[in-house]
Amino acid sequence: MRLFFIFTLSFLLTACVKPEPLYNTQSYIFGTLVDITIYGEPEPRAQEVSNQIIHDFQDLHNRLHAWRPSELKTLNDEFSRGNSPVTIAPDIAVMLSDATKLSIQSKGAFNPAIGGLIEAWGFHHDEFHSIKIDETKIKNLVHANPQMTDIVIKDGKVSSNNPAVQVDLGGYAKGYALDIALVSLRKQGIKNALVNIGGNIIALGKHGEKPWRVGIQHPRKPSAIATLDLESGWAIGTSGDYQRFFELNGKRYCHIIDPATGYPAQGVQAVTVLIPPQINAGTLSDVTSKPIFIAKPETRAEAAKTMGVEYYLVIESNNKVLVSPAMAKRLTWLDPLTAKNVTSNLQ
Amino acid sequence: MSRLTYSSNTSNPRLKPLLGDWLVIIISIFAVIFMFQQFWSFEHASQLRIRQGNKIIGTYDLNQTRELHIKGPIGESIIIINQGKVRFKQSPCHNQYCVHQGWLSHAGEVAICLPNQVSLQLLGAKNTYDSLNY
Repeated sequence: MRLFFIFTLSFLLTACVKPEPLYNTQSYIFGTLVDITIYGEPEPRAQEVSNQIIHDFQDLHNRLHAWRPSELKTLNDEFSRGNSPVTIAPDIAVMLSDATKLSIQSKGAFNPAIGGLIEAWGFHHDEFHSIKIDETKIKNLVHANPQMTDIVIKDGKVSSNNPAVQVDLGGYAKGYALDIALVSLRKQGIKNALVNIGGNIIALGKHGEKPWRVGIQHPRKPSAIATLDLESGWAIGTSGDYQRFFELNGKRYCHIIDPATGYPAQGVQAVTVLIPPQINAGTLSDVTSKPIFIAKPETRAEAAKTMGVEYYLVIESNNKVLVSPAMAKRLTWLDPLTAKNVTSNLQ
Repeated sequence: MSRLTYSSNTSNPRLKPLLGDWLVIIISIFAVIFMFQQFWSFEHASQLRIRQGNKIIGTYDLNQTRELHIKGPIGESIIIINQGKVRFKQSPCHNQYCVHQGWLSHAGEVAICLPNQVSLQLLGAKNTYDSLNY
C-alpha cells in the first residue's frame, strides 16, 4: 500500500519539475500554420534561428505562389502563352526536375502540372467557395494531358511543350521546405528541433531524454487518433480531405484531385505516411501520400510500394482504419475502440 | 490485509468485507481510472493557450465560463470557454472549419482558424505529444 502511494505521488510530482529549455514559435506561411520547436538552446539563439527559417519559408512561399504574382506564376503565364523559354532561378529548376522524377515514379498519380484543374475546382483562392462544376472544362483539361515531362529545362531556361501545363507545387513545396529547414538547423549547430508546416513534420534530435512525439489528427474529430515517436531525421505527412474542401449537394469535394479523372479523390478521409531519414525525407512526406490517397483500395498497397513507402495509415470514408504492418508497430492508439477496429492486412 | 481467506466457512460473519477491504476496493477503482487516463491519454486539459499570428495572446484557465474576442487580419474571432472545454463560437472566415471543429477538452487538442490566424491549443499537466500531424 505504501509503495502504491509513493508510486502515485511520483506520478503527480513529475508535473512540478523546472521548466524545460523549450522554445516554440508559430507563424502563418504557405497558407497554413508553421510551428517550430527548438529544445536545449538559450531562447535568444532559438529565436534567431527560428526567425531565419521563417524568413526562408516566407521567401520560398512568395516565389512559388500559384495564384499571386510570383516566379512560378510568371512561368505558368509564359507556358500558357506559347513556347518562349523563361529564365528561372537554379533552385526552382532543381525543384522542377525533382518533382518531375517523382511524378514519373508515381506513374502520374502525383502530377504538379495540373494547376489548371486545381484552379477549375476553385482551390486557387485563400478563401475558396463551393463552385459550379464545369464538366466540359474539366474534361478538356484532362484531355490536354499536362505532364511534368512536357517541361524542358535547358541552360537555366524553361519552356513547356504543352500549353496546358500549369505548375502547382502545393503538394511538394511544404515538404521541400522541411528538408531546407533541416539543413539550415544542422548548419547552425542546432541539435534538437521539430518543424511542422501545416501538419507535415520533420524531427531533429530529441525532446530532452525522449524522442519527439507527434499526434496524428483524427480526420473527423477535434482530437488525435494516435501518437508516435518521431526519431531524428524522420518525417511524417498527411493528405486529408478535411484540410481544404467544400461541400456541394451534401457531397464533399477535397483539394486532392485525381489527375486521371480530373475530379477530387473520393473514398478516403486521410492518408498518413512516415518516412525514414534520407536527404529528401520532408519532400517524400509531402509527395508520397497523394498517390496512396488517390489509389483505389485494391491498388493502394501497390501505390505505396511504387513510391517506396513502407509506413502508412489510411482512414477510409466509412471510418475503416487500415495500417501497414511496419506502421502498426510504430503507432499508439489513443482510443481503445480504434485500436480494436484497425485492419493491419495491407501489403 | 483482507481476512476473507482465513476461513472457508461460508456462514462465518467475518466474511463481510471490512473497512480495509472497502478501502482496497475503492482505491483500486480510482487506480484503474487513473491508469486508464494516463495510458489511454484521455487527459483533460487544464489550460488553454490562444495565439494570434505569431503572438501568444494568453494562457487561460479552462475551468471558468468566459467569452474572448480576438482580433485577426479578417475580423474578430469569438472563443468561448465553458468549464473544462473551449470552442470557436463565431468566426469571420468563409469556410467556418474552426467553428465546425466543435468543443476541445483534452490536452494536446488544437483548433486553428487559418484565415484569421487564430489558434487554440489545450495544455495539460502532461502533454501527450509535442506537435500535431494533420
